[in-house]
Amino acid sequence: MTRRDFLLGSAAAGLAGCGRTAATRSRALVKVTRAASYSQELYETMRRVLAEHRLNVRGRRVLLKPNLVEFEPGSVINTNPLLVHATLEAFRELGASVAIAEGPGHRRSTLDLADAAGYFRTIPDFEDIFTDLNLDEVARVRLPAPVSHLRSLYLPHTVLGSDLLVSMPKMKTHHWAGATLSMKNLFGIVPGGVYGWPKNVLHWAGIHQSIADLHSLFPNHFAIVDGIVGMDGNGPIQGQAKPVGVVVSGRDPVAVDATCCRIMQIEPSRIEYLTLAGGLEGIAEENIRQIGEKPDSVETPFELIMELRELRRVKA
Amino acid sequence: MEIDYSTLENIRAAQNPDGGWPYHKGGSWTEPTVYALLAHQAGRMAAPRSAAAFAWLGVAQQSDGGWTPRPSVDRSTWVTALVALLPPETMGAGRHAQAVAWLLGERGMESSPILHLSEFLRYGRLPEGPDLSGWPWFPGSAAWVTPTCFGILALRKCYWRRPTSELRERLAVAQAFLLSRQCADGGWNHGSQRSRGYDSGAYPETTGQALLALAGMDAAKLEPAFRLAQRFLREQRSSGGAAWLRLGLLAHQQLPAGAPLFEMPCRTVPDTALTFLAAAAEQGYNVFLE
Repeated sequence: MTRRDFLLGSAAAGLAGCGRTAATRSRALVKVTRAASYSQELYETMRRVLAEHRLNVRGRRVLLKPNLVEFEPGSVINTNPLLVHATLEAFRELGASVAIAEGPGHRRSTLDLADAAGYFRTIPDFEDIFTDLNLDEVARVRLPAPVSHLRSLYLPHTVLGSDLLVSMPKMKTHHWAGATLSMKNLFGIVPGGVYGWPKNVLHWAGIHQSIADLHSLFPNHFAIVDGIVGMDGNGPIQGQAKPVGVVVSGRDPVAVDATCCRIMQIEPSRIEYLTLAGGLEGIAEENIRQIGEKPDSVETPFELIMELRELRRVKA
Repeated sequence: MEIDYSTLENIRAAQNPDGGWPYHKGGSWTEPTVYALLAHQAGRMAAPRSAAAFAWLGVAQQSDGGWTPRPSVDRSTWVTALVALLPPETMGAGRHAQAVAWLLGERGMESSPILHLSEFLRYGRLPEGPDLSGWPWFPGSAAWVTPTCFGILALRKCYWRRPTSELRERLAVAQAFLLSRQCADGGWNHGSQRSRGYDSGAYPETTGQALLALAGMDAAKLEPAFRLAQRFLREQRSSGGAAWLRLGLLAHQQLPAGAPLFEMPCRTVPDTALTFLAAAAEQGYNVFLE
């Protein structure tokens, strides 16, 4: 490991801000916002969401990282572009410089995929503000306390150079991880140009462990989960549309993802990456300060494939 | 399909001052650099500043004989197979031989004796069936369809130049690996044909690449793949996908007359080069198979 790698590793830790342990965790704020459909109302919704979180992003570089997976116009595989654009506009109004980036895990033609998913139509000058993270310049970053056998990862300069990474996943089941939300969405920052399509190194290192390791680099990334229409069943690609009508947001990704699991009727303590990253305390309901809708009131049971039925949340 | 030589001009314009090519813009990477050189080979033209291009490729070679995706990465990966597609005389026979040796020593982790031992200790049994090994994208992970296709294409060229039993055996095993991964719909996904009890769907790129890598195989076995590839070609969604489908179908003389031309934009150097390579193959010069 070179001195440059070390410095970049330190920079990533700095970027992550105050890496909190479960022991020192304060109550994390998570907002559940009703959003019935992908309509123009989302622009006002996202303004209010960011205002409630009191993010100070004036003059900062904000990077929106949606989940782009497959060419299937009209499907629910990808993060909806209208939500991404509404978020982009809301951050700009707060004085941030906003860019969008993604590195799909399966498909190599990222811009064609974004085009098919409606990003070019919906977001003006999309190509000028978008970076394909699979093909970006990279630097090796040391993992501060790896859970997997990985000791470092090559990561894109665009991500390492941002002040605030905003993970914008779709609320989906995942046939290996159980649920794919803001933390699993960080697989998309790992460059395919280095690791391939898919990024199988992460699977061999353990999906849950790799998610926890990526989280350790960006523990305070901001999360905005597209749960307006999610996907259940054999997600993240072959499942069915699941309307939930919510946007879930917060600056503690573990708490946001645990809340999403509760909404999906998945037991968060059975999602291994959540417990690896946050411990049982990090996902405990009493340690999460919910604002907006109560998760119970928007709870929507997501169908689980046979192998994942044990993840089903059964309330006392 | 006519060869549009102005494509080569576009590729040349994208060459970086260091001699390599970027994917789109920015720093040089091994993959687009090899495709740019292959496109010039297919156009039977020397790339301008080709010496600088090969010098850049030389910098990306690692001490283990393999190639890294870009010089800031310190591991040899699947791109070694791409480099080995270049004629040995263009980069130096010694360097080329090192690339081939690296490929012969690399395989997916599912074939690792350590993994087999670990499974035996955990479950009391060894994996069933023949050990069908392909190539991984990155060392220490499983074999996948795309890197296996490139491994086959590179080693097959070596075999044609100088047949050895080691090359023949590795090619046979890798082709069997590909056939074992054929999806129910006839094409190829990136990896397995089934996952968690569900059939995996094929992709255009991987289906085209697999057909190219299986050139010379009994056509009857591949009939469902031909039909699917022809359907994918009608529904093309990316220029890269369309190029691989054309190359794959051409390798089996299955490209329908009047197959629709590319309508998707070429957004990267590899896509531009592949479009040119597919057009050259239609005119009788397939750099992957000659």
